[in-house]
Amino acid sequence: MTTRSWLKAIPTPSTRLLLVITGIIGLSILGFIGWVIYLDRVITNEFQGRLWSVPARVYAAPLELYVGAPTTADDLDMELRRLHYQPGDPATGPGFFRRRNGDFELHARRVQFIDELRPATRITLHANAEGITGLSAADGSDVPVFRLDPLMVGSVFPIHGEDRIILTPAEVSPQLRAALKTIEDRRFDDHHGVDPRSIVRAVWANLRAGRIAQGGSTLTQQLVKNYFLNDAQTFGRKLKEAVMAMRLEARFSKEEILVAYINEVSLGQDGQRAIHGFGLGAEFYFGKPLSELDIGEQALLIGLVRGPSFYDPVRHPDRAKARRNLVLQELASTNVISEEEAKRASAKPLLVRSRGGGYFPAFMDLVRRHLKRDYAEADLSAAGLSIYTTLDPKAQSSAEQALSRGLARLNAARRDKSALLEGAVVVAEPQSGDVLAVVGGRDFGREEFNRALDARRSIGSLVKPAVYLSALETGRYTAASVLLDAPLELKLGDGTLWAPQNYTREEFGSVSMVHALAESMNLATVRMGLDVGVEHVADTLVKLGLDRRPALNPSLLLGAVEMTPLEVVQMYTALANGGFKARLHAVRAVLDDQGKPLKSFKVEVEAVASPELVYQVDRMMVQVTQRGTGRGVTAKLGSKILVPAKTGTSQDTRDSWFAGFTGSHLAVVWVGFDDNRSTGLTGALGALPIWADTLGSLRPSSWEPAPPPEVEERWIEFSTGLVTGPSCSNDAVIVAVPRGANLPTKPGCAAALMRAGIE
Amino acid sequence: MLASLAGCSLLQPTRSPVAPPERTIPNPIPEAPKPSAAPATPPPAPAALPATPTAPPPPAREYHLNPATQSLVAQAHSQIARGELPGAATTLDRALRIEPQNPLLWIELARLRLTENDGRQAESCARKALALGGLDPQTRSKAGHALVDALRLLHREPEARELEAQPWMK
Repeated sequence: MTTRSWLKAIPTPSTRLLLVITGIIGLSILGFIGWVIYLDRVITNEFQGRLWSVPARVYAAPLELYVGAPTTADDLDMELRRLHYQPGDPATGPGFFRRRNGDFELHARRVQFIDELRPATRITLHANAEGITGLSAADGSDVPVFRLDPLMVGSVFPIHGEDRIILTPAEVSPQLRAALKTIEDRRFDDHHGVDPRSIVRAVWANLRAGRIAQGGSTLTQQLVKNYFLNDAQTFGRKLKEAVMAMRLEARFSKEEILVAYINEVSLGQDGQRAIHGFGLGAEFYFGKPLSELDIGEQALLIGLVRGPSFYDPVRHPDRAKARRNLVLQELASTNVISEEEAKRASAKPLLVRSRGGGYFPAFMDLVRRHLKRDYAEADLSAAGLSIYTTLDPKAQSSAEQALSRGLARLNAARRDKSALLEGAVVVAEPQSGDVLAVVGGRDFGREEFNRALDARRSIGSLVKPAVYLSALETGRYTAASVLLDAPLELKLGDGTLWAPQNYTREEFGSVSMVHALAESMNLATVRMGLDVGVEHVADTLVKLGLDRRPALNPSLLLGAVEMTPLEVVQMYTALANGGFKARLHAVRAVLDDQGKPLKSFKVEVEAVASPELVYQVDRMMVQVTQRGTGRGVTAKLGSKILVPAKTGTSQDTRDSWFAGFTGSHLAVVWVGFDDNRSTGLTGALGALPIWADTLGSLRPSSWEPAPPPEVEERWIEFSTGLVTGPSCSNDAVIVAVPRGANLPTKPGCAAALMRAGIE
Repeated sequence: MLASLAGCSLLQPTRSPVAPPERTIPNPIPEAPKPSAAPATPPPAPAALPATPTAPPPPAREYHLNPATQSLVAQAHSQIARGELPGAATTLDRALRIEPQNPLLWIELARLRLTENDGRQAESCARKALALGGLDPQTRSKAGHALVDALRLLHREPEARELEAQPWMK
């Protein structure tokens, strides 16, 4: 039977119409049910996906305590508080400590390290103003070495790199739950995802106000909206949201939905990155974990939910404060807090981002890149990983503070305020290649352009140690060699003339090699470098760790090669490490949720230059900080600590660099403008003070490796390079030269030297 | 003065009974400059007086582990004995973080790499220990023997033999 004949079988036209309408309605209902089923699927998948994707937790390196460790009593106190140990009777349980002057009784928590799961332990520690003086166990026996819990510095989804601080239900306080519900959704516990009453109320309020003053969305609806990140306020959109919210409520508990909301809701924007969730919000705005926020600080975050950019406490502090106080008032009127508490909290300043550390976006950036470099993607997608990094929180905060202080001082001194100076700092432990700290810019708490890793800039005179190492490699030079610092002109390959100059436009004439390096003389360096060969210098740079071959222009001898601060650190590891390049790494280990390492970690060193030649270069670099362009370091750290280092200034003072190392730390600082304009700063004026400030608070040990057997240390006259002694010249410095090197002696000094033996 | 500079507060300086081999090197003053392309033109050396006698080798350091690293090395040894090589590596890594410049730790690391059959890293670590070990005869000889074993693992027998023949290896 055809359709037509079937219709004909139906008696009257009105019955026919009725049937058609019924059919349409029936189909619509079916369609709607299908749509609901579809939305149910979408939202359930989304929710479950988020619920079960537990991000990896990221830890800093644990602090090792042993007799002689440079952790003072006050340092230890600070570290314990940073790890959320509370003063109190250690007998109460793990997590408490008691301090009497330099004596600490600690009840350490159970903690998973890379290599062991340590049960909760009681220990007594003694420290003074120099460091740790003793450790003993509960039974009184000596403990040779003890490590504190590693500080958790964030969570990350290693694959897509989004970082979150995901809270478990136990970590969300009853007060925060109550406060959130009061402000955003009072009937949360009773409704089924949509609250008709509050919609009616909102519509009424909006009509009266003549604009959208109130939203009627439940927490569940807001959660759905956050998942799909779309602000369009269309009817279709709202209906979809409502259906999804009801489906969520039908499938999951109120508890699951509330915790998901607390982890998901958007609380602001940081450059390209959205700040999701109260855990990250607490770190981002206040620099501390959510559990440590007082009610006023919690109220600020809750207030942000309604409009993170409108109430941005950084850009609109007045609005943010008014909003916070309104929230506090509401909380008091509903008895979540007392009137007294509300009054006290309202009187407090906003205190946004009084950072105590704990959130280090530039370092996390390096962690993500090293995870990508060293681990298979499939391994990293597992849930509940723990990532153990090399971060040294103390070095990190020192570097952050030093950079921010230094740049503030330099920017304040500038007359032209049209742009602000930027900077970057990287600190590493040169022997192992552990990266200890990374600061990517002035505003270190924000994730933005990471200059430490991505700003490739001309390195200027930081290249010189490589030039001098190349010269020693020829066997024709020693630290006592005499160089000529006099003008020269070179015809380059393209026919142009190149006439380098010293920074000060002076000429020094005949100088010792160590003097030329210490004062960063360009003319002497170029003359020597041309004799050694530009190609040899390029080879040396590659050998030391540069991952590409620089252009072979004579200007390479003065640092016409662009590198990032991190690349400079990699290159300097070989100098700081006796000719052994240590591969830089920020990740020590990744453990799965059972505590099993994904792969075993290896310190990797590679001999790239002769230890005796590197020792001779380092010994010359010591004079940079003792008598040369880096003297400011000695002024800050004292002359007892030997620091081989080099200043760097690129053409037109676009870049100000300082790179140097002690026995314990290697650090590189860069200062400049993002748009490459001239800074007017040499390496000594811009980067050096920041370097010295960073190292100053880290108790660095002196650079003093044993001289290799093939070299000997000799006194020579700084200016002439002639062998002398402190009794024979007031211009004597120590250099290292090949053992038995036949060096000319300063006239009149031979007899004195013979008499004194070798001084 | 030199001795005090070379000294290290943690370590007991003792005199080295073994003087390292002396060698002569060419006069460090660069050769006559080449034409304008290579304008390194050092002035003539000043009237050479009799060179001063070569300094005696500075007193050698003798290396010890501090109690913390000693206990970690002991722990690493027992881990190796139990076949827990990754655990031992982590333990030695901890020790290195405490005393990164102690050649004895680099010798331990070289030995661990040998156990792991990683000749290349064993060689690097042994060479690093040699470089850090300065003139301490015991440390040098220990590092040297680790290096010999690494070279043998890498099938570089001639180099291994040449090294073994060095007087300071005895």
